[in-house]
Amino acid sequence: MSTQAIESLSEDTVRRIADERDEPEWLLETRLNALSALETAELPDVIQTPGRRWTDLEALDFESLVDPLNQSDATERTVGDDEVVVLPFTEAFDEYGDVIEANFGSVLDPEHNYLTALSVALFTTGTFVYVPEGVDVEDVTVRAEMNSRSLFSQTLVVAEESSSVTILESIESGDSEAAASEGVDGDRYFSNLVEIAAGENANVQFGSLQNLDDDSYTYSLKRGVTDTYATLDWIESNFGSKLTRSDVETELNGDGSESQIVGTFFGTEDQHFDINARVWHQAEHTTADLVTRGVLDDVARSVYEGVQDVGNDAWNTSSYQRENTLMLSDDAEADASPKLIIHNHDTEASHSATVGQVDAEDLFYLESRSIDSHTARNMLVEGFFVPVLEEIAVDEFRDDVEELVFERLQ
Amino acid sequence: MSSQQDELKETDTEARFEFKKEEKSAFQTEKGLTEETVRVISEDKDEPEWMLERRLRALEQFQEMPMPTDWPGQPDLSEVDVDEIIPYIRPDVDVRAGVDDWTELPDEIKDTFDKLGIPEAEKNALSGVGAQYESEVVYQNMQERWEEKGVIFCNMDEAVQEHEELVREHFMTKCVPPSDNKFAALHGAIWSGGSFVYVPENTTVDMPVQAYFRMNSEGMGQFEHTLIIAEEGSEVHYIEGCSAPKYSAFNLHSGGVEVFVGEDAHVQYSTVQNWSKNTYNLNTKRAIAEKGGRMEWISGSMGSKATMLYPSTILKGRGASDNHITIAFAGEGQDIDTGAKVYHNAPNTKSTVESKSIAKDGGRTNYRGLIHIADGAENSSTAVECDALMFDNESTSDTMPYMEINESKVDVAHEATVGKIGDEDIFYLQSRGLDDDDAKQMIVSGFIEPITEELPIEYAVELNRLVELEMEGSLG
Repeated sequence: MSTQAIESLSEDTVRRIADERDEPEWLLETRLNALSALETAELPDVIQTPGRRWTDLEALDFESLVDPLNQSDATERTVGDDEVVVLPFTEAFDEYGDVIEANFGSVLDPEHNYLTALSVALFTTGTFVYVPEGVDVEDVTVRAEMNSRSLFSQTLVVAEESSSVTILESIESGDSEAAASEGVDGDRYFSNLVEIAAGENANVQFGSLQNLDDDSYTYSLKRGVTDTYATLDWIESNFGSKLTRSDVETELNGDGSESQIVGTFFGTEDQHFDINARVWHQAEHTTADLVTRGVLDDVARSVYEGVQDVGNDAWNTSSYQRENTLMLSDDAEADASPKLIIHNHDTEASHSATVGQVDAEDLFYLESRSIDSHTARNMLVEGFFVPVLEEIAVDEFRDDVEELVFERLQ
Repeated sequence: MSSQQDELKETDTEARFEFKKEEKSAFQTEKGLTEETVRVISEDKDEPEWMLERRLRALEQFQEMPMPTDWPGQPDLSEVDVDEIIPYIRPDVDVRAGVDDWTELPDEIKDTFDKLGIPEAEKNALSGVGAQYESEVVYQNMQERWEEKGVIFCNMDEAVQEHEELVREHFMTKCVPPSDNKFAALHGAIWSGGSFVYVPENTTVDMPVQAYFRMNSEGMGQFEHTLIIAEEGSEVHYIEGCSAPKYSAFNLHSGGVEVFVGEDAHVQYSTVQNWSKNTYNLNTKRAIAEKGGRMEWISGSMGSKATMLYPSTILKGRGASDNHITIAFAGEGQDIDTGAKVYHNAPNTKSTVESKSIAKDGGRTNYRGLIHIADGAENSSTAVECDALMFDNESTSDTMPYMEINESKVDVAHEATVGKIGDEDIFYLQSRGLDDDDAKQMIVSGFIEPITEELPIEYAVELNRLVELEMEGSLG
């Protein structure tokens, strides 16, 4: 047993969740298997160097954070085109039960670690997105509000051959007064698992924006696989939460497939971000591009791990990774570890990471143009995010991110 | 051992690095490691009581610490069985602290070093040579003019006797305590031989000081300790070279290096390591740099079955600086896990790391490095650059840097690239009349040139020769 046992968790709890949602038998079984996996599962790996543990997940008190039977959310799903299916699982089982059963847990193993197992055993919200062959949809949005002490969300995206879809999800905390009246106060826990299967020649862009209250803890693991010639692009934006552990991962399994992982974060006060981007090249002619930019103010702290793993059969691979952290405060801390694991010599791979502060010359230039120093600094911080904002193809999402950056700069 | 190997022709270049000698030792401890072994070593060396106590404390720490097994992707150490290692072998030489004239050495030992070209190197105006055959330094010579200036270069065992206060203060205390890691603890318990270098204030030793280590007995571990103290404003360049002949049982090399870089002093430490391909090379090397001090580590890792070596520098004083240059070359069955560690603990400190690695025939190289910038170390800067070259698909090339930045007024940059030998480059060279092997060799030489040009000429030549040997006949 690697972590605390949660008293309120039992087979009965899981059965009640499944019953209430009228779920098929196989899913109940998946949940129960995940529950029993908790006994042996480990917490996600955290980097540790002599004298320093980069993120302390063991300090989380799951007993008080997890309240499985009182989960509550308000989720709004909009679809521009009715050729695509965007439904909560409970409404999708009747018609798409087979597709769900075939794909659920196939990309992201529910028993991957303690937190994924916990999440699969207890999820009560989330979305099933099904894009049939050849369908091209631009704006699927899923906007969720968390209204309970804990919330477990599970999302599955199945994009069939030659389909194309752009999905944006966001999570924020609901009205805090309303929550308080329900007896929800203090620390909260949000868990978000996303799995994406991108079929042959499919094109999936998945954007995620997390802006929960600063008494929240967030765990998020998003993993996708690509078939031949598929493209899977992620945008992972983290602004909220006291502590965030976010992993975005792509397995490039099809020849000629591509993935881009764009990440942004902005930490203020005592926020802690543990941001991870990983890609496995497992087929020929695959391309990956990992770009993360983050800003830290006050006593905020960031941890970044990027992994580019090039397998033995991944001939003619191109793989790039860049990470830049901007420090606005003397008391902020940034740890970074960009890793290359290369097993095929027919590879062009590079990575880079930098940590620094706002360039003094740039500041001086702006001030000499009679811009006050605070405004000048803010302009430079906004400018720092431009290279990642440019990667966001959807205006609505870009505006949201820009707005949150702006908010933090006031 | 086979006498055939003694008769290998000098012209056989490969034999130059693979010959071995018949074991003939005056004293050999029992296999395995016990308190008794440690006491015997200490007694045989006639050491003061405090050194014995330090050894015993280190032994205790060694026995308590677990084997390091949880590093991501680390070399397999499951074959390392310390009980199988004979920790201390003193060659059969009458004089304990070495002889001063080359001709006094037994023919067998002289022959070994002749093949490695040690006396030639000395003739070429190196200022001092300490050659370690097995565990005792058997030959010491320091040119008189340095002795007159107060420069000390002697074997570590002698230093314990002759320079007791200096050694007592600096030996495995502030720099590399035995508690640092399991193999540092092992080293602390059974260390033997090595070099002691002391450079007084404002003294510049303008010729490199050289030591050559060599393992020659099967199943033997080598645990030499090097302690360098460079006082304020002094300057010294220390060179260490290692090579061992091949044996079927595995060897363990677990050396310790401690360097004290005084205020505004400058120390350069160069190593070309070519242990035989059954040696586990697990070293701890560390320097502490005071205000304005400058430390340079230059390492070439060519040999060994597995190497775990991360020379580290603690930039303790304001304005101290560090420069790491490393080359790793892993061929068949080799796992070279090496890198650099730098702690920026004071303002205005600066570090640069340049790493080049080559993996071929199923070998693995890994750059594993740590840059730590402490809170308050403002205006510090660090730049890390790693380039890796891969020859084939059986090989592995990893890069695992870690950066911990607790200060905002800093400039931190890390860059790494991995690539293969370009077909176009090879084609170009072939079109100029070179064959495939020569073309590849030339590309590799060009790849590591930025580093070899930093080395003193003798070492650059040896390194290039080793690279050539590695490349010979193995390319299709």
